[in-house]
Amino acid sequence: MNEPWVEKYRPQTLDEVVGQDHIIQRLERYVKEGSMPNLMFTGPAGVGKTTTALALGKEVLGEYWRQNFLELNASDARGIDTVRKDIKSFCRLKAVGAPFRIIFLDEVDNMTKDAQHALRREMEMYTKTSSFILSCNYSSKIIDPIQSRCAIFRFAPVKGHHIIKRLEKIAKVENVKYTAGALESIVYFAEGDMRRAVNILQASSSMGEEITDESVHEVVSKAKPQDVRKMVNMALDGDFLGARDLLREIMVVQGTSGEDMVTQIYQEVSRMSIEGLLKGSVYIDLIQSIGEYDYRIREGSNPRIQLEALLTKFLLKTQEE
Amino acid sequence: MLWTEKYNPQNFEEVLGNKKGKEEIIEWIEEWLTGNSPKPLLLVGPAGTGKTTLAHLAAGEFADFIELNASDKRSYDIILRTVGEASASRSLFNQGLKLIILDEVDGIHGTDDRGGIRAISKIIKEGHHPLIMMANDPYSKRIRSLKTKCNVISIKKVHTNSIIALLKRICIKEGVEFEEHVLRTLAKRSRGDLRSAINDLEIIGRGNKSITSEDLEMISEKDNVNSIFDSVRTVLKSKNPQRIRDAMRLKEDPAFILELITENIPREYEKKDEIVDAYEMVSLADTYLGRAFQTRAYTYWKYSYNFMSIGVALAKDETYRKFARYANSSVYTLLSKSRAKRDLRDRVAGKIAEKTHTSKKVAKEQFPLLEIMFQNDELAWELASYFRLANDEVKLFRSRKIKEPKKSGKKKTDEKKEVVKSSTAKAETKKTNSKPKSRKVSKEKGKGKENKENKKESKKEKKATGKEQKTTNSGLNKSNSEDSDNTPKGGSKERQASLFNFK
Repeated sequence: MNEPWVEKYRPQTLDEVVGQDHIIQRLERYVKEGSMPNLMFTGPAGVGKTTTALALGKEVLGEYWRQNFLELNASDARGIDTVRKDIKSFCRLKAVGAPFRIIFLDEVDNMTKDAQHALRREMEMYTKTSSFILSCNYSSKIIDPIQSRCAIFRFAPVKGHHIIKRLEKIAKVENVKYTAGALESIVYFAEGDMRRAVNILQASSSMGEEITDESVHEVVSKAKPQDVRKMVNMALDGDFLGARDLLREIMVVQGTSGEDMVTQIYQEVSRMSIEGLLKGSVYIDLIQSIGEYDYRIREGSNPRIQLEALLTKFLLKTQEE
Repeated sequence: MLWTEKYNPQNFEEVLGNKKGKEEIIEWIEEWLTGNSPKPLLLVGPAGTGKTTLAHLAAGEFADFIELNASDKRSYDIILRTVGEASASRSLFNQGLKLIILDEVDGIHGTDDRGGIRAISKIIKEGHHPLIMMANDPYSKRIRSLKTKCNVISIKKVHTNSIIALLKRICIKEGVEFEEHVLRTLAKRSRGDLRSAINDLEIIGRGNKSITSEDLEMISEKDNVNSIFDSVRTVLKSKNPQRIRDAMRLKEDPAFILELITENIPREYEKKDEIVDAYEMVSLADTYLGRAFQTRAYTYWKYSYNFMSIGVALAKDETYRKFARYANSSVYTLLSKSRAKRDLRDRVAGKIAEKTHTSKKVAKEQFPLLEIMFQNDELAWELASYFRLANDEVKLFRSRKIKEPKKSGKKKTDEKKEVVKSSTAKAETKKTNSKPKSRKVSKEKGKGKENKENKKESKKEKKATGKEQKTTNSGLNKSNSEDSDNTPKGGSKERQASLFNFK
């Protein structure tokens, strides 16, 4: 049976993890020593934080890793209370068949400061029996007391040649043919995100017998929200209400996230500039606004409101005739 | 005894203002007492204008009354049970009628008071009981359905002069000396809320021989809650920071206030740079809301309030002399319309997140790519079983039902099926065109895609069989290839049979 390739080809051991050599070397030392401090993995999406944590858990804990490894997603768990309850009932028991227990908490940066302080107390309380692995996108959003209790590992975006190697391997096993250049364009669109790269590969292969440069482009353009260009054009033409309605439709009904939207807007504006539709000065002004609002989306409370504000910046600009 | 109670009107004549409303209520009571059953009354108006007083005066005309207000829980059962007691004691000829008073119906809570509005609608439909309801917010969605079934009487703010006159009378009775302008300020500040004016007077006047403007300082900061749409109007119309600050005394959540101000900016402001500047302030306001939430330092809210009110107000060059119709944010309509879909997306994201060790958010980001994968029949089948998606959950990714993957050994039946398949596919093409689409992306492409799929069908057939042969040769694939041969095709005979039944 065919699994999603991201799972089927998820590295099961540390030495299978690609593109994070320095980190893996140090982690393997923990395996050898049979003990490890609290760890924090930071880095963008799809670079192997979860994979590494799972692989490390298996190797450190050995045969009975499943019983001694607790995986929690901080952003989905309903509030800190659930997290604490889960951690408590897990840590209270001594590790059986393994040197200690591991709690893996994903996306800790989505926890509030209060919740993080509570977590810090849990970490202190169970140091003897358990180790924590925390993962996050931005370590700046983690309170200092937690950071200072962890060995911090920064995961870099996966390099292009590493991604290509991995894709080639998968393609070989799956017997998928591809033309020269197809994998390069997957790498281009994946932007260092291995999960995305593998998903694009599987989506492209599901469309036809051979993965080509064109089929990759088709997948990527199909997979992005369709109306972003239209929305940008409406705003440039001064139809703010129209553009705003479209934005709300894309975000609320189609469920596109704020971060995805800002990336899409950026890409559309770049493309328009490449196509000669935007004057250089207009282009760079817009990029400045997009960058600023990308930041505010992360700081603010409602991404949609911030994006509406970003759309107004287009009102004062025009396209080249 | 509080002055508000002490000086509560004892009969309809003593009620200030709202002459027309009073008359309507009196007529309504008379109709009931003469054996008719007129429509229930819905009194709508701002706080402190006399809605509850009027209802209680009306109650005096009936044998008895029952009251449920916001402090009681008002679920379907509770309302019906309470009212049920009233109906049990009802006699013939409308004598011994019990009046039912439901205060603050716009405050009936969605989850805590489940079915509350439904229960009220049921009582109205039966029409056995005189029923008076009160609401503050005429725009409330919760009472929209009730409005059509009721005689809506709008209770207006009490005129400043009437309030001053009453305050004077109270001062004389209480033996408090007063300066006329102090009472005027009290009256004005109350903005038509008689109750708050009397309360304010009591705070500075009770036990005092006289009241002066100095006493006003004491209550100058007292919160007066405004109606949200009036406040939005003030923000967008006024450029006076003091007035705007007053208008922002609202009980609503700041994110909601921001949403409504934001919604109406482009309805009021016409120049592009005004919209740009106003939205800059909106963005800052939201940024501080985010910071407050992330750090739990809610003192940041004050910056947010300033940006969304005075900041937005000052973005306009001058006040527009026009009447703009303000609206509730379209986001709320979109949210309620798309609710089922969002729930579905959430459920599916949960299943996928669990299998792929991610959060729901990350899982959702992969949806568009999954949607493409799900267009491939074979892969769709496998993914659906891997993630344990039910049929309705699969619909999130593809409009057609997934067909059973075929075994290569059954060429003959497959060919037969091919015929059936293409005809069903055509039927479905028609169906998808006539039906409002659930998936946005495929809207334009629906037809083309479906046809392409048909052409591809035979190709895929070859590919599938070829693939299986090859994969068994490759040692790297371990058990996976075996799995793909066996698992999903186990009882394919029965499933194929059911396939023919499908439509």
